[in-house]
Amino acid sequence: MTPILHVADITKRFGGLLACNGLSLAVRPGEIHALIGPNGAGKSTAIGLLSGEIAPDSGRIRFAGADVTGLAIPARVRAGLTRSFQITTILPQFTALQNVALVAQVRAGHSFRFWADARRDAALVDPARAMLARVGLGARADVPAEDLAHGEQRQLELAMALMTGAKMLLLDEPMAGLGATESQQMTVQLAALKGSLTVLLVEHDMDAVAALADHVSVMVAGRVIATGSFAEMQASQAVRDAYLGDHA
Amino acid sequence: MVETWRQRAIAIALLLLLAGLPVLAAMLAMPDLISLGTQVAIYAIATVGLNLLIGTTGLPSFGHAAFFGLGGYVVGVLAFHANDGSALFGLFPGATEGWIVWPLAILIAALAALVIGALSLRTSGVSFIMITLAFAQMLFYLFAALKTYGGDDGLGFRRRNALPWINPRDDVAFYYVCAAALLLVLAGFHVVVRSRFGLVLQGIRQSERRMAAIGLQSYRYKLAAFTLAGGVAGLAGALQANLLRFVSPDMLHWTTSGDFMVMVVLGGTGTVFGPLLGAAAMVLLQTWLAQWTEHWMIVMGPLLVAVILLARRGLWGALGGK
Amino acid sequence: MTLLLEQVLNGLQYGVTLFLLAAGLTLVFGIMGLINLAHGSLYMIGAFVAARTQAATASFLLAVPAGMVAAALTGMVVEATIMRRLYARDHLDQVLATFGLILFFNEAMAMLFGRQPMMAAIPEFLSGSVTFIPGVPYPTYRLAIIAVGALVAGGLYGLIVHTRVGMLVRAGATNREMVRALGVRIGLLYTLVFGLGAMLAGLSGAMVGPLLSVQVGMGDRILISTFVVIVIGGLGSIRGALVGALLVGMVDTLTRAFLPGLLRGVMAAADADSIGAGLSSMAAMILMAAVLMVRPRGLFPAHG
Repeated sequence: MTPILHVADITKRFGGLLACNGLSLAVRPGEIHALIGPNGAGKSTAIGLLSGEIAPDSGRIRFAGADVTGLAIPARVRAGLTRSFQITTILPQFTALQNVALVAQVRAGHSFRFWADARRDAALVDPARAMLARVGLGARADVPAEDLAHGEQRQLELAMALMTGAKMLLLDEPMAGLGATESQQMTVQLAALKGSLTVLLVEHDMDAVAALADHVSVMVAGRVIATGSFAEMQASQAVRDAYLGDHA
Repeated sequence: MVETWRQRAIAIALLLLLAGLPVLAAMLAMPDLISLGTQVAIYAIATVGLNLLIGTTGLPSFGHAAFFGLGGYVVGVLAFHANDGSALFGLFPGATEGWIVWPLAILIAALAALVIGALSLRTSGVSFIMITLAFAQMLFYLFAALKTYGGDDGLGFRRRNALPWINPRDDVAFYYVCAAALLLVLAGFHVVVRSRFGLVLQGIRQSERRMAAIGLQSYRYKLAAFTLAGGVAGLAGALQANLLRFVSPDMLHWTTSGDFMVMVVLGGTGTVFGPLLGAAAMVLLQTWLAQWTEHWMIVMGPLLVAVILLARRGLWGALGGK
Repeated sequence: MTLLLEQVLNGLQYGVTLFLLAAGLTLVFGIMGLINLAHGSLYMIGAFVAARTQAATASFLLAVPAGMVAAALTGMVVEATIMRRLYARDHLDQVLATFGLILFFNEAMAMLFGRQPMMAAIPEFLSGSVTFIPGVPYPTYRLAIIAVGALVAGGLYGLIVHTRVGMLVRAGATNREMVRALGVRIGLLYTLVFGLGAMLAGLSGAMVGPLLSVQVGMGDRILISTFVVIVIGGLGSIRGALVGALLVGMVDTLTRAFLPGLLRGVMAAADADSIGAGLSSMAAMILMAAVLMVRPRGLFPAHG
């Protein structure tokens, strides 16, 4: 099956630091693919390169059959490749509903409409409410985003990412800062996405990775050193060396 | 925007005051109130435009006076040529009819805003503040250098622009024209802010990064807001020229831009009625303080500092409670 | 040719005046993240105090330090009382609050010294001219300013790059919390940095007194030019401030000197003069706009 995301030999250097050194990756449509590795391996840089925040020095990125290497963030989002943030950047003063409705609005085309009250526009508000319900935030729709609990803000992030009509989500540590119950909730929600969406997940929480990932790629020093199922990675000597080598 | 009952009450009071000021002036036998009120209304119009930039979109433009002054100079220059019989650039005759000159003032100010905005919005943060300041100062120097139109000393003209059904010499009638313009602009702001366009601007203010991440190209919306604000400032400038029958480069000076910014913040950044409160506070303070002492600026300065440091929500927030 | 050389030197001298102001302003912005519109007021205070001291004591060597000290003290007091509260605020608030300070200082100077412009005298030992380029006599006083500028640039370089204080200054710019954790009193550091910038502004004002008239509001116009300098040079960079100041000094002086003459070739004399004056006022800003289009962060953006 052709991969929906194909990363070919990406390098990225920041001054003296070689963050990505021939990074190659293939993600199949509909799967949850986890990207793990020791700290400093370059995982966050990889997400930045895929989302369009950083431009690679060399290499190509193909998404859904098209070369997206040169595209800026808004263009990639429109192509269906969307990122969620490690530090939440929802719009704090808007309610959860307004946040999601705004995504629907941007997706609907240009916003050079100056007259009608957009906050009452059913074409935006109804799908937004439905999306919030889908991620479990239905009851909190009218709460300002900055007043939501941390876990709820994560759910909102997910709702917004889904609302972009993304074909693939790049999730950068979605479990970061969540307590045990919240992590479980998030895991359930992400599992529910399988099949309808593709997900590339950078994560340190191994329980979540074990529960969610169809495939795992291990990244060390800027490149992927092993790919396979979670069990295979656990058993792999190369992977153990990479992690333990860190502590030596 | 108008959420607490106190805010509702204040909004109603302001609108009533706006409508009934000449009556009040007659009752109190204080005819000066009318020109004061007109000045407040005009400044408020310009400030609404800036409020859209600073308050709604989060764009700290320090060059708003450029568009205010441009609007004024359109009126002044056209009046000059009409009086003179000469033609601008040898092509365009002068004009004094309001229905020709005022839309022209708005258009030219908006065009200037389009050009200046297109260049300035490629930067952000401090550079944006500085470059908008620089462009406005450039225009200031330009007009100060044009001796034909008075240069540093400014340009006076004899008659206000002619408007249908209105005697331009009637100060009360002119006040109502300005008040009506202000109401129109306030209503416009209220509508725009809650429209799709306005929501996008608010989103840009809260997190431009997030807006890019959901697929929005923010530059075009910021430019549209900048142009709109410029056009509104141009209208205010045209009215200002008519109020005093005088224009000068000071209308474009960076301290005038500073004054508008103060009015935005003093009144309540991002609120509908903030600009009106801010303009009223500035004008009244300047008028009354000036009566006490020639050195009233010495109070104005620290007052401003105190407001910035202490009263963050501005007058609308402080009076309306929330 | 002589005229050209003379104007180039004038451009250098104006550049030095701008550099002294820009260095302080860019340091304060780079390290504390503060836009300080009132920096021009410190320049004005330096000029006034120096001019008054010189009038009272007839000693230039007393007047300049007096101006520097007055500016430095004012700066540090303002920093401790007001600026401190602005570091955490957004740039718009900083702009507005320091705008209020300008209003205050302008009026305060008017109250203390009156609104009549003052003329300071060039001291005896620096009067006359020096002919170090054959055929080009150049005012000694202006040369002295250029020399002072070079000294200050060298001194700042030495301070920032080679001393522990300078290292703290650079570290404070990139990581406040870490510096604090090292036991350095960051509040004191900021006050001193601000004071240094203020002192340089005062020096600039004090030296410029004999060349221009000392009057209320003299800080405002040069403030704009100073901001243009640091935006061109790159916010937070002393090297950028130096390059930017020299560029702006040259562009401003040379256009002012030669543009009206050039324009007379294509239009009436009176028009040429006024349009020439207008265009040369705009020249530095056009330069800034051009630089920003190509390098939105200036020529030498500081890191962190």
